[in-house]
Amino acid sequence: MTGVIGYVGIVVAAVAAGVLSVSGAVGAAGSGRMGAVARVAARVLLAGAAVAMLALVGALLTDDFSVRYIAENHSRATPFPFDVATAWAALEGSIVLWVLVLAAFTAAVARTVGRDDRLGLSALAVLGAIALFFTVLVASVANPFQMVVPVPADGPGPNPLLQNHILMAVHPPLLYIGYVGLSVPFAFGMGALGLGDAGTEWLQRTRHWTLFAWTFLTAGVAVGALWSYEVLGWGGYWAWDPVENASFLPWLAGTAFLHSAIVQARRGVLKTWNIALLISTFALTILGTFLTRSGVVASVHSFTQSDVGPALLGFLLVVLTGSLGLFAARAHLVAGTRRIDRLISREGAFLVNNLLLSVFTFVVLVGTTYPIVLEAMTGAQVSVGRPFFDRFAIPLSLLLLAAVAVGPLLPYRAASPRVVWQRLRWPLLAGLTAGAALVVTGVAVASVVAVAILATIVVSSIVVDAVRSTDGLPGRRVTAWWRLARRNRGWWGGQLAHLGVAVTALAIAVTGAMGTEISATLGIGETTALGGYTLRYEGVVRRDEPNRTVDAAQVVVLRDDVEVATLQPRLNRYRNSRQPIASPAIRTTPTEDLYLALRRLTPDEVGIEAYRYPFMWLLWAGLALIVAGGGWALTGHRDRRVRAAPTRDAEPIGEPDQVEVLTDG
Amino acid sequence: MRVRHLAVPLAGLAVVLAGVLAFGDLNGSLVYYLTPTEAVAQRADFDDGRRFRLAGSVVPGSVVEAGDTVEFNVTDDTTDVAVAHTGVPPQLFQAGIDVVVEGTWDGVVFRSDTMLVKHDENYYPPDEVAAEGTR
Repeated sequence: MTGVIGYVGIVVAAVAAGVLSVSGAVGAAGSGRMGAVARVAARVLLAGAAVAMLALVGALLTDDFSVRYIAENHSRATPFPFDVATAWAALEGSIVLWVLVLAAFTAAVARTVGRDDRLGLSALAVLGAIALFFTVLVASVANPFQMVVPVPADGPGPNPLLQNHILMAVHPPLLYIGYVGLSVPFAFGMGALGLGDAGTEWLQRTRHWTLFAWTFLTAGVAVGALWSYEVLGWGGYWAWDPVENASFLPWLAGTAFLHSAIVQARRGVLKTWNIALLISTFALTILGTFLTRSGVVASVHSFTQSDVGPALLGFLLVVLTGSLGLFAARAHLVAGTRRIDRLISREGAFLVNNLLLSVFTFVVLVGTTYPIVLEAMTGAQVSVGRPFFDRFAIPLSLLLLAAVAVGPLLPYRAASPRVVWQRLRWPLLAGLTAGAALVVTGVAVASVVAVAILATIVVSSIVVDAVRSTDGLPGRRVTAWWRLARRNRGWWGGQLAHLGVAVTALAIAVTGAMGTEISATLGIGETTALGGYTLRYEGVVRRDEPNRTVDAAQVVVLRDDVEVATLQPRLNRYRNSRQPIASPAIRTTPTEDLYLALRRLTPDEVGIEAYRYPFMWLLWAGLALIVAGGGWALTGHRDRRVRAAPTRDAEPIGEPDQVEVLTDG
Repeated sequence: MRVRHLAVPLAGLAVVLAGVLAFGDLNGSLVYYLTPTEAVAQRADFDDGRRFRLAGSVVPGSVVEAGDTVEFNVTDDTTDVAVAHTGVPPQLFQAGIDVVVEGTWDGVVFRSDTMLVKHDENYYPPDEVAAEGTR
């Protein structure tokens, strides 16, 4: 019964998506009565999608094994909250979640669309078309609601790796909100293109959506990395694995758009570039979904072969040909005549940022898709190794970090060398001092020193900016700055995110270059040493849980002959799998992480890989700061109506350079 | 006018692609997956210490553990290749299981330092696993 309700929900959603698409398109063409129809259709779409998702969750909670998805992915022994998370842990359910997120965004957009709002209606038409594809997908080849006869008494349960850590319940929704949210600026961009609207209204209206989606996408990628580190036990957090790249690609392109949108709104340049960037970003989200959902790459994300892969590939081709065709036919209508005056200016810095991020995106795209193309053409199975990605990622990241350091200090239009020097001299001095201090204290690793210099310049240029913008303001400086930061959240949110980027870069360099590892096999009572630690194996403790048996190796950690901790890297045997899954154990201190991963475990012998990473927590702190920066910018005053760019008169406090016109006034 | 809008980004893409292929040494970063039959047939290609991944199942009765190394044969049911693996083999390593080892040819022996055990993608109702365990 639950299955039938869910299926009806998805069919209703599909019909509503079709109606939304048509009424939006007709309304955008000038028919004044279609706005109301589109708004209702958007609400029905959300209601239908919500019913489908709730039916799935309800069936999981009530152990309704007559529903195919439940019979294939659930078992009575799966504990809360993993039973709820199962609703999006496997292929069909994850697409239902996709539909629900898209429907929620669409309904929220529809609330801002007025009767004669042709731009809004055309965006709704595009969103409706995307929703139509995904709802039809759920109703056909990815249908989780099929009846199973006879009804099994119990099922196999979810993939053991996905019930091994709570982060896996959080990661997909975060990532999907990010992925799907990027459809909103794409839809508005396509709408503006279709209408030949050369204004910046579409950018201003989508600023919050873009920022919202980007913030969640960042959080999703960060949580994915954290999960990889905490759960997979290979000792790292990023392997340039195709599925990791699938989330990183739209992030790179989306980050480029987030920046170039500012310069278009502010200076009216890069108009066609922004549309091209949006098309790429949206296409990359679909490509990412294809990579992770089609089984074309083997990983924890790829599910059994199904027709979903070909359908997504077909959709990707339709999106690319449709949007690029529209671009080729209409781009001249929205193109601006203004050019960037000088390269040494804020606009120039944005341009450099965009070029670097685009090249970065492109390199990762080539490395990720090359094995698929090669296998399709020659049948040879290959994987692109880390060296290829690192060869590009390291210099590109350093250049990006330099752009982060300098860009925000440059004034718009043209920067005189005197001004640049004035604003940059203290940060430069601080950076070089930090670099020299590292070399003197014996840290002579080139990558660490280079990143430390750049990161210090970023941080100190933010401080200089805060000082400069509070010059001459009444009251204490910190209070004055706090007032500014609350007023101009777009700008200071950006600066906070930049601070996070600097911290993240530093953490990547330090943990990468200065980490150490050993592998050892220890009998009971035997010890091994790693960077000041002594590790002693003391046997296994077995624990029975409803869905698994846990064998925890007892490894005592000593520092200077004093016991500081007992780490328990575990081997989890899930009832539904013949193979056990190892979970690493991590001890985090302010100065370093000690990371123990099991390779082999018997009652009297343990094979471990032990890693020591200095200042590992900085990485998570840096990523959290980036997300917090996005969040801070988001909490600024929202204004759905079109507004003129504030002038100097309207913005008596602060530097005109800092006015981030899209979000705040 | 219309052509220019597409032409500029496309030209840019072409330049970057050329750069990536010319300087990226993509081919040098490729790791090939070979079956034992392919590995033996293409030994000449991989004789210069080039790393590749060898995928096959562990021949029962061939496993010899000696200190830090494990020696065993992998097979694709047509060809057997002798593997000398350095390091702690993973928990699941045992005769009959599918493995992927990464390393280089050393004469007729494949020297590996990285071993992945292919994860069983199938999940079973608990009673089946239990039955398997008692068998």
